[in-house]
Amino acid sequence: MNIPDQKFKVVVIGGSAGSFSVVSRILSQLDPSFSVPIVLCLHRLKHIRSGLVEGLNMKSKIPVVEPYDKDKLRPGIAMLAPSNYHLFVEFDGTVSLSTEEVNNHSRPSIDYAFSSAAFAFREKALGIILTGANRDGAQGIKCIHDKKGFTIVQDPASCEVDTMPRAALKLFTPNQVLKPDEIVQVLNQLKG
Amino acid sequence: MTYKEYLRVLKEHTPYDFSEYSDNSINRRIQKVMQDHKMTFDELTARTLSDNRFVEEVVEAITVNTTDFFRDPELWRFLFEKHLSIYRKNGVINIWHAGCSTGQEVFSLLILFNELGMLPKTRVFATDISQKALDKAKEGIYKHQIERGCIDNFSKVFNDPKKGEQILDKYFDVDSMNDIITVKPLLKKNIKFIRHDLVKNGLPFYNKMDIVFCRNVLIYFNAKLQTRIIQRFFDVLFSNGTLVLGAHESLNGFFKTKFEKTGPVFKKSNGFHFRC
Repeated sequence: MNIPDQKFKVVVIGGSAGSFSVVSRILSQLDPSFSVPIVLCLHRLKHIRSGLVEGLNMKSKIPVVEPYDKDKLRPGIAMLAPSNYHLFVEFDGTVSLSTEEVNNHSRPSIDYAFSSAAFAFREKALGIILTGANRDGAQGIKCIHDKKGFTIVQDPASCEVDTMPRAALKLFTPNQVLKPDEIVQVLNQLKG
Repeated sequence: MTYKEYLRVLKEHTPYDFSEYSDNSINRRIQKVMQDHKMTFDELTARTLSDNRFVEEVVEAITVNTTDFFRDPELWRFLFEKHLSIYRKNGVINIWHAGCSTGQEVFSLLILFNELGMLPKTRVFATDISQKALDKAKEGIYKHQIERGCIDNFSKVFNDPKKGEQILDKYFDVDSMNDIITVKPLLKKNIKFIRHDLVKNGLPFYNKMDIVFCRNVLIYFNAKLQTRIIQRFFDVLFSNGTLVLGAHESLNGFFKTKFEKTGPVFKKSNGFHFRC
């Protein structure tokens, strides 16, 4: 497995259908001293908007928070994009929220989260796209790839629904195509 | 040329200043204008310098107008059950909706005041940078609200599953075939809609305010500009006035001591409130 040598300012993880259990699994196996800020951008079912942050916190080795607008990314904290808001990573390491129109039927839009991280941190952004049932995120993670950031796509064979990773794989060749447990191994060897 | 340089052109040559907006969002919205018009930055700049109508078009395209009736029902339920009655003894209740967009929250608040029997006391100033949005707000005609779940929202706010339909019929003329609802005149009497740019313009009224509503507007500004605008809200509020922000907006630093958090809203107070 190839472990990126560069230092990262943010890890952005995007997922949709089936991603809750994968994200829980990743967070539950993280090294508690994991020191890169994480942004989680997960599609939510319209009528089940609450409880996600609590659910993830039960499993996670690092704190998971729903940020307020302009909160700063912090090492070893996972920020979950609030339901019904887009989340953007800004140059100064803060996050901005937005209620702009849905993108790919989604708010939060994974494309926006990925592309903002690419725009702000270029090669210092790491993007991971997980299982999901639509195309949101594919274009965005390609932005990270284009700016020489590091990209990981969940192995479609390990996905509950593989539309999202396959859409990404159609657009570019990521640094890694990995199963969830392998994703954790990469994360745990990152330099903050 | 970059979006930053284009924002400087706007600032120097038009009445608008977006230079302190959040970078990602403003950048993407300008990119979209360029895509829609198939323009480069240079072409965009040239047109901006020569065509005032086009500038207005750009401003409309840049600003965000998404809003709903009773977005975040828990907030509205709090206002209805616990908060708005504190202004019952007022002769007049002055309310400023800063960035009211197409007006759904203006009418949402007035529905609550009417249910509390306080509607005749209200005097509302509803302002927005977008003329198109204001025109829609003035009309009070809304499409696809039923499909988007407004009845369910009404029920949640009043904590009664039967109330949703009642509220709808009481305050709106309903064309359910086409999913169009029209605000009834009783809610429209006490509102002034005023075009106003929160960033560039002075206050469009002389009144002090009891309530300032500014939900999901500040998120488009950078932290420095947010602080300036919140200072203005602080100055315009009476000493027990209420500031209502979006569900994921908060006050930073200094202002945490000048407002007291009461449920989901902020109350201006004269004392300092140190928060641990």
